[in-house]
Amino acid sequence: MATTATPEVLPGIDRDEETDSQTGREPGYLVICWNDPVNLMDYVTHVFQVVFGWQRQKAEVHMLQVHNQGKSVLVRESMEKAEFYVHQLQKYTLHATMERD
Amino acid sequence: MKLIRTNRKKSIFELSLQEKNLLDEVLKLYPLVPATHHRLSRKSNIAQPNDHQRLLEESLTAQREENRKYVQAMLHQPGHFETTTSGEQLALSGPEIEWLLQVLNDVRVGSWIALGSPDPDQDKKIAFNKKLLPHFRMMELAGEFEMVFLDALTGRASG
Repeated sequence: MATTATPEVLPGIDRDEETDSQTGREPGYLVICWNDPVNLMDYVTHVFQVVFGWQRQKAEVHMLQVHNQGKSVLVRESMEKAEFYVHQLQKYTLHATMERD
Repeated sequence: MKLIRTNRKKSIFELSLQEKNLLDEVLKLYPLVPATHHRLSRKSNIAQPNDHQRLLEESLTAQREENRKYVQAMLHQPGHFETTTSGEQLALSGPEIEWLLQVLNDVRVGSWIALGSPDPDQDKKIAFNKKLLPHFRMMELAGEFEMVFLDALTGRASG
């Protein structure tokens, strides 16, 4: 995210539709799954497959990232889509959040 | 409980009467995770975080109410379980197993929260006492049932 061009803009209020001037990308939201000691590894893999339609191998890579590194960035999306994915993951009681990129 | 056969439409599980009673016991606890447990964001760096958080909680509450009705139907309406000579058989479609996984994991995570969210990585241990023991039992039981249902979805036979 650009930090120098528009200092008067309040964070999180009205930059959603703008384009990042440095990267040329639309500002996005990261959907993150965080590690916890209660969700079973096979269960987490399965939920990633269901929610994102991933093949098992890709889902396992992200599950292991969560397990070994404490978190995994699953997708970068618009606010609406990120929110949708967080809802889906939380329906399965995974520890998921969305953060501004 | 074990998976005895599966096809595109249904998976058939065999349970002893004791296992069925344990499954009932777990399912009756649903929902267990507090509605306010989930946070949309850790950093609160999204626009109107309170509105989005409220919508999240409303959405999850509605979902849980829907799930709760399914649980009641499963436990109290005939047709889900069939008594056999060796115990009980439970027939579930793929979507029903998906739903049941959500319910079981809610009980598992809710029990873990009730135990004080123990985490060995952070040296946060369970302070065992008689009051907490049922939560530990339910957390383990829910996980055991989850594994059997996950095996059914991935086509792995369970023992």
